[in-house]
Amino acid sequence: MARYVVTRLVQLLIISFIISVLTFLLVHLLPGDPSVAILGPNDTPQARKELFAQLGLNKGLLQQYATWISNVFRGNLGQSFLTHQTVTNALSVAFPIDLELIVVSQVIALLLAIPLALASALRPNRLFDRSATTSTFALLSVPPFVAGPILVLIFAVGLKALPATGFVRLSGGLGPNLKSALLPSIVLAIGSIVVYYRLLRADLISTLQEDFVTMARSKGLSTPYILLRHALRPSSFSLLASAGLAIGSLFTGAFVVEAIFAMPGIGYQLVQAIYSNDYLMVQGMALVAAIAFVVVNFVADLALTFLDPRVRRA
Amino acid sequence: MGAPAILEGCGTSTGATVATPGVSSLKPRSGGTVTIGVNSEINGFLPSTSHWDNTGLTYANTVFDSLTQVAADGTAKPYLAQAVTPNPDKTVWTITLRPNVMFHDGSPLNADVIVANFEALRASPLTAQAVTPISGVAATGPLEVTVTCKEPLVAFPHYLATQVGYPVALAQLEKNDTQHPIGTGPFSIVSWEPNDHFTVQRNPHYWRNNLPYLDSITFKPIASDNSREASLRSGTIDLMLTRDPHAIQGLRNNPGFQQIADLHRSVGQTDSDFIILNCAAEPTNDITVRQAMAYALNVDELVRLFGAGVTTPNLSLFPPGSPYRPSDNGYPTYDLNKAKQLVAQAAPNHGGAIKLTLATITDPRLLTQIQAVSNMWELAGMQVSVNTVLQVEFIDNLVTGAFQAYTDEMFGASDPDLNYVWLSSTTAGGPGSIALNFARNKDDVLEAALQEGRTQSDPAARAAAYQTVDKQLAKDLPYLWVSRATWSLTGSNAVMNFDNLTLPDGSRAQGFAGGIFTPTPMWRRA
Repeated sequence: MARYVVTRLVQLLIISFIISVLTFLLVHLLPGDPSVAILGPNDTPQARKELFAQLGLNKGLLQQYATWISNVFRGNLGQSFLTHQTVTNALSVAFPIDLELIVVSQVIALLLAIPLALASALRPNRLFDRSATTSTFALLSVPPFVAGPILVLIFAVGLKALPATGFVRLSGGLGPNLKSALLPSIVLAIGSIVVYYRLLRADLISTLQEDFVTMARSKGLSTPYILLRHALRPSSFSLLASAGLAIGSLFTGAFVVEAIFAMPGIGYQLVQAIYSNDYLMVQGMALVAAIAFVVVNFVADLALTFLDPRVRRA
Repeated sequence: MGAPAILEGCGTSTGATVATPGVSSLKPRSGGTVTIGVNSEINGFLPSTSHWDNTGLTYANTVFDSLTQVAADGTAKPYLAQAVTPNPDKTVWTITLRPNVMFHDGSPLNADVIVANFEALRASPLTAQAVTPISGVAATGPLEVTVTCKEPLVAFPHYLATQVGYPVALAQLEKNDTQHPIGTGPFSIVSWEPNDHFTVQRNPHYWRNNLPYLDSITFKPIASDNSREASLRSGTIDLMLTRDPHAIQGLRNNPGFQQIADLHRSVGQTDSDFIILNCAAEPTNDITVRQAMAYALNVDELVRLFGAGVTTPNLSLFPPGSPYRPSDNGYPTYDLNKAKQLVAQAAPNHGGAIKLTLATITDPRLLTQIQAVSNMWELAGMQVSVNTVLQVEFIDNLVTGAFQAYTDEMFGASDPDLNYVWLSSTTAGGPGSIALNFARNKDDVLEAALQEGRTQSDPAARAAAYQTVDKQLAKDLPYLWVSRATWSLTGSNAVMNFDNLTLPDGSRAQGFAGGIFTPTPMWRRA
């Protein structure tokens, strides 16, 4: 087990290094020129030259990368060209938003998907299973930019029960914090509910046909006991792997929801920074999001090895 | 105004008084907080380096004060300055400051601070162009600053009501600090987290007696008009800015809200919606092509389709009622047959066909509009492709002349001379070179009229000069006018007096215009 973890850690470091190089290089492919955003209409050749020298953009790529990565290791991700806000400060605003949205949305998704899948797998192709499968399939066709405004219309504008936009930090109170996170989390959860339900349902149906389940039934064990105690764990590997990918991608993939609910999470800030050619902000946000993605999947892999010893022997 | 009057005394049995939206005659209540949804985020609070749009200037009115303010009658009156007086030929202006005014950090407002602010403005690439006419700034007394200009600058007091007229404290200036504004304004910063919020608290030492009334204000940038509207309707925010005609229409005549719009306010110039044509690039460098494009553009239809009954067509640089607007500027009106004739006439000079690209920024609302415009031009026989570009590319292309036709919105100003830099032949370059006259239109008659307007004190002479400017623009057609850009500010009925700034002399300020307002007199019902 220890050897497996060490191997995965080494792989994690190599991937992180590659990510850092790609992140650094990718921003140089952004269209436009940062001097336009910074200097505006007074973007003269002389002013541009001075600005490039000031920002170190006149140096070679290798030298720029070395300077940047050494600063990253010192916790200095630079500061926005436009707002002069440090990237770490922007991340301190953005990261808790994403973290909470991801946690709440995944809790909602799992709380709904698991019981639904269990109930469906128990009697496949019966009324409940067909209804659930059809309903979740319909949900899958509702994109966040449709679901978001509809939920806002019902719960914020109509019932005035939840805020339409904005994020209240935990320091503003647990109640207001959860209220502000609920609608965007539900929107984010919709896609996950469908995927988790369908994966778990299929695996459960397959597992319930295994010999050890037949044996358990012949021993007179109750159906709920068999489902929860014997079938759920071996059926949850695909779900876990999928959750790892979903959680990782939500660090940047939530930007549509963040835009609808005016929450400056990592995805939203990253898109804003790309639009305004804010190089260091793009580098910092993209790096953190990519590393978060890798780390989440690393944790998911580890969890999988605990659930299924065959993985670490593979 | 198009917005419903509200009953100020509702809930009381004693004669309710009907008021104009945003204006209250009730006794103000001190305390409380208001949350305002704004349409954009700014990049900093330093006038010499930060780009301020309508949100930026609203923020500036919150934490800073401008040396002058535009009054409801269109004149620029002293505000933070006690007086702004010229010499007879208006080449030298003396700014006298109010005594005992303190910045938020406790430092005094004096002549040295103003001189340092002007020096920073003149040294910055961003603002140097705006203060080009100024040749010298000197402190001539503890509270007196003398500004010398290269030529008569009649509109100088109006310049002091713009971004170059908001003094910041020396401590902020010396650190070149864009993040922590230190002004003399009615509120001081509590926190600013870009794209999340800007929160301010009451300045207890504000120089205007009994103002402001609110304890704090939080501005929340909400980019989506729909989300901003939903936030207002749900009570998440108390006040919202928008220039989306559909959002304005949707909130109009709703008894739950007060709405003000700047459509019928014609102090100076309002922002215009138009299509800018590059007069230095093929094929829009051909006046016949530009005329064909103008004749083919059915502005009434565009406004009917996209104006939501809010915006109105406007085929002039100046709004109706402006003294600078001629009774007939000769601008081409919709005539499809004429457009077809002109296309046929011009096509042989451009390889047999007029091919061009019409572009706009990545905004779904604008994309549908340019698709309609391209259809109109294609009906006249042109071959048009439409495109969207990122905001930074858009600005880059305008500045360097890498475009043929773009949608744009600008020219809002309290005095027409403030637009000199955008219209002058002296700031027009060729393709690929930097130019602030983005259309690159060069016209000696236009330039002479702009100079006349800049240097003449006589209102009649100025009016005549700017009427000539408007007529020349209608001849040259660097801009195809569409409509007046209309902004609105809509608030819940709990927020009072958000459009009722009075000036120190007791007169009323211009109020909400161009998406900019001053929250100083605002208060909140219990």
